[in-house]
Amino acid sequence: MNMHISPDKCIACTTCVVQCPVAEATTKFLGPRMIGPAYERFRLLGLAEDASLHYCANCKNCDISCPQGVPVSSLNMLARAEQCRHHSPSLRDWILGHGELMARWLRHVPAPLKNFGMLNPLTREVLDALGIDKRATLPAFATQTFRQMFAHIRQPGHKRKVIYYPGCYVDVYDPTTGVDMVWALNRAGYDVIVPNEVVCCGLPLVSNGFWQHAHANAERNLRELAGWRDKGLPLLTGCPSCALMFRTDLLEYFPDLISKYGPCRLEDAQKFLLETMDDALFEATSTAPVVSQHVIYHAPCHLRAQGNGLPGLALLRRIPGVNVDNADAGCCGISGSYGFKKEKYDIAQTIGSRLFAAIRESGAATAVSECGTCRVQIRHGSGLPAKHPVSILRQHLEGLH
Amino acid sequence: MLVASRGMPQQRTDPNGESMLETTVVVIGGGATGAGTFRDLCMRGVPTILLEQGGLAHGTSSRFHGLLHSGGRYAVGDNDSARECIEENTIVRRIGHQCVEETEGFFVLTPEDDPDYVQGWVEACAKAGIAAAEVDVHEALRLEPNLSPAIRRVFRVPDACVDGFRLVLHNAMSAQRYGGRMLTYHKAVAIHQQNGKVCGVTAHNTLTNEDVEIACSCVVNAAGSWSGRIAALAGLDVAVSPDRGTLVVFNHRFTSRVVNRLHPGSDGDIFVPHGSITILGTTSTTTDRPDDTIPTTAEVQRLLAIGEPLFPDVRNYRILRAFAGTRPLYTPGNASGRKASRGFHVVDHGSEGLEGMVSIFGGKLTTYRLMAERAADTVCKKLGVTAPCRTAEEALIPDPDKATLALAARHFPMAGLKIMADRLGDDLPSVLDAAKAKKENPLLCECEMVSLAEIEHVARDAATHSLTDIRLRTRLGMGTCQGTFCSLRTIAALAEHNIPLDIPPTENMRRFLQERWKGLRPALWGIQAREMELGRAVYAGVLNLDGAAHEQNC
Repeated sequence: MNMHISPDKCIACTTCVVQCPVAEATTKFLGPRMIGPAYERFRLLGLAEDASLHYCANCKNCDISCPQGVPVSSLNMLARAEQCRHHSPSLRDWILGHGELMARWLRHVPAPLKNFGMLNPLTREVLDALGIDKRATLPAFATQTFRQMFAHIRQPGHKRKVIYYPGCYVDVYDPTTGVDMVWALNRAGYDVIVPNEVVCCGLPLVSNGFWQHAHANAERNLRELAGWRDKGLPLLTGCPSCALMFRTDLLEYFPDLISKYGPCRLEDAQKFLLETMDDALFEATSTAPVVSQHVIYHAPCHLRAQGNGLPGLALLRRIPGVNVDNADAGCCGISGSYGFKKEKYDIAQTIGSRLFAAIRESGAATAVSECGTCRVQIRHGSGLPAKHPVSILRQHLEGLH
Repeated sequence: MLVASRGMPQQRTDPNGESMLETTVVVIGGGATGAGTFRDLCMRGVPTILLEQGGLAHGTSSRFHGLLHSGGRYAVGDNDSARECIEENTIVRRIGHQCVEETEGFFVLTPEDDPDYVQGWVEACAKAGIAAAEVDVHEALRLEPNLSPAIRRVFRVPDACVDGFRLVLHNAMSAQRYGGRMLTYHKAVAIHQQNGKVCGVTAHNTLTNEDVEIACSCVVNAAGSWSGRIAALAGLDVAVSPDRGTLVVFNHRFTSRVVNRLHPGSDGDIFVPHGSITILGTTSTTTDRPDDTIPTTAEVQRLLAIGEPLFPDVRNYRILRAFAGTRPLYTPGNASGRKASRGFHVVDHGSEGLEGMVSIFGGKLTTYRLMAERAADTVCKKLGVTAPCRTAEEALIPDPDKATLALAARHFPMAGLKIMADRLGDDLPSVLDAAKAKKENPLLCECEMVSLAEIEHVARDAATHSLTDIRLRTRLGMGTCQGTFCSLRTIAALAEHNIPLDIPPTENMRRFLQERWKGLRPALWGIQAREMELGRAVYAGVLNLDGAAHEQNC
């Protein structure tokens, strides 16, 4: 491997340092410019890695803010991968990187038992000793995975079809969001296909240093999705991190796979709904009265990093009765599994505090965000329930109040 | 025969209150050869003063591509020089490992080079004792993936990279440990003689404009490109022609080995990875001025064109700056440029009627130690000193012990520790003490990882007068931003910690930036032009540096 991205584009303007939520919260992180392009010049010289590399949350605010187009976070992730090749990541990082794989291993264990096993105070002490902070709220396993539930959904039989990539968070922890997505796509006039072969996009694996595993996942996904892409079917996901992984990260991380299969862009499902649902489809069924609801929306960093606007927010604004605020309060701090880690828990809470305050002060009763772990962090930090935009859509259009 | 005065250089004040120094030998020229001779003489117990007109290595020793030659480049044309190179290369690696990066080198035959040259070159390397094993092209491309896939043959040689400034500094540190005295920013303006013998030197302090008289019985002229001018001070006429060479500095290290084109020595055909950067050079044109060091855009373009067959992406790599230096070619009989010998000559001017004057002409940085040894031998013979040369055996700088390094790791929270320890040499313990005393030790120069403690220490050194002096010691301002962030941070930190430099802050910063910008101008395109615009916006716009003096007068 030993791949390097040229650090030449960085002009050291330090805009990224100003925008980096981690650098603002702790001095343990030297900042994106220093750990990214500046340090890369020393990596090429064979210099030992700086410990603060592990404090990069891979939230990509550096990439968003860089006026010169330097792929700062990818520089960091490639460096982390190289370091993890020499020093194996910890058991803790293995656990946090392999959520989907563990769920597959445990698929025959009933959810209440799994959750008791994982979330009881004794296990939490053990996990805490391994480095998963016991104060963090960990997501619970769902009773059925999304794919198990999807197998029982009777779709209307539309001619037009879309491919829906649920992502591992929806599949393992949050299947109802996936079911709501299928409902919304059906309503927009599409039958939904969920390919059985697809696995986790690999972002948690990359962030935790499991480069080879991420490569294997990427190959499996690209092999499967390229076939559907070539048939001309739209490829959709509701998860911004998965979308970003397919849209930009895979191109930078695994050029070998891209040249083999070609890029597979996953479109933002919220954007797809916005474009395909005409006004009539946004009218609630006659039996469902318009109910007004005040919600507050949080745009995940990985959504903003795509430069694709905020289609989830726009979708919410089209729902009759929904009054939505845009929190616009930066990063929530969780960055996938970053905020669960013991040495990073406090940093993540500090980062998220501005958002938590904005949510609490908004007076809204519900927070909305596309990203699964953002929602975990919002619930943990603000105490409010947090939902995916399609769940709010379904709730209003079906009158499920 | 002259008699060595006892003890190390003495200072006394003459009746007029003028500064008066007394020593046995004055070495003129604070480059590699001068500092090497300084060290050699001090190690043999000869009282010696080193004079340098600027800061250490202000001339050619900091203006070359940092290649510690294996000799491969000279094997065909000048086999004796090649043999000297490989022998000295081995010695310098041993005594100065802090200054050397053992990268090894490739000689690469491109489709544009004559394949028939190879056989003769291989034989010449064998004759000179240079290991030159052929490497499979695929293996070479695996090791250096940025090399052109069109290359035909590759040979591996023991080339290495050397930090010229650090080599000079460490030689001077070693000499000072043996009692030597060094006067930088002192220009030799007169060489005095009495009855055909050298009796003293007048040095002009260029910072204070005061003259210093130094009584001595021997002068070593090691002034490199300036050695013709020094010889002229003693009324001697020698054939030294400065030969100008321009080099290009790239922002990152795209090769981890020295890469030479396998063809008869020519312009622009060597790439040298140098710490965090890569240097490409050099051109060769005769000049009449030893300080003819302003590079041109045409030279940069020419170098890129010549470098392209080796690294096809060379135009996409960001150029940080260009710089030029002058080679001190010794040219009796009017040989010039690449035809002039790269060998060196130690001349005892006693035969020309001036006893006590010794000059070293020609040569190259790789053989600096041998040149110094020969010059010191000549001087010692005159002085009746029989102590043998030990410069090839003793390390320039003793390695810091494990305890010191462990301590350093606690106070320098960065992986750049080894880099810092190598460049600091004898000064490491003092910098550690300074860092220990601080609550935090931030990096003032992030591009080259230079911390506050190191900068403060260097700024306090008596030989430091300007930000440029600090730069040469620490690499401050030599990375990506070329001074945009670190110059202001440094000047502010020094003011805050009450460490004044001789030159006032605004003027100091202005000179420093001008020196940096001088190197940017000849290659001002692409990303570096953006960098320059940022620097201009900060200093000329926000800080109004170019209008500041005027504004204060209003």
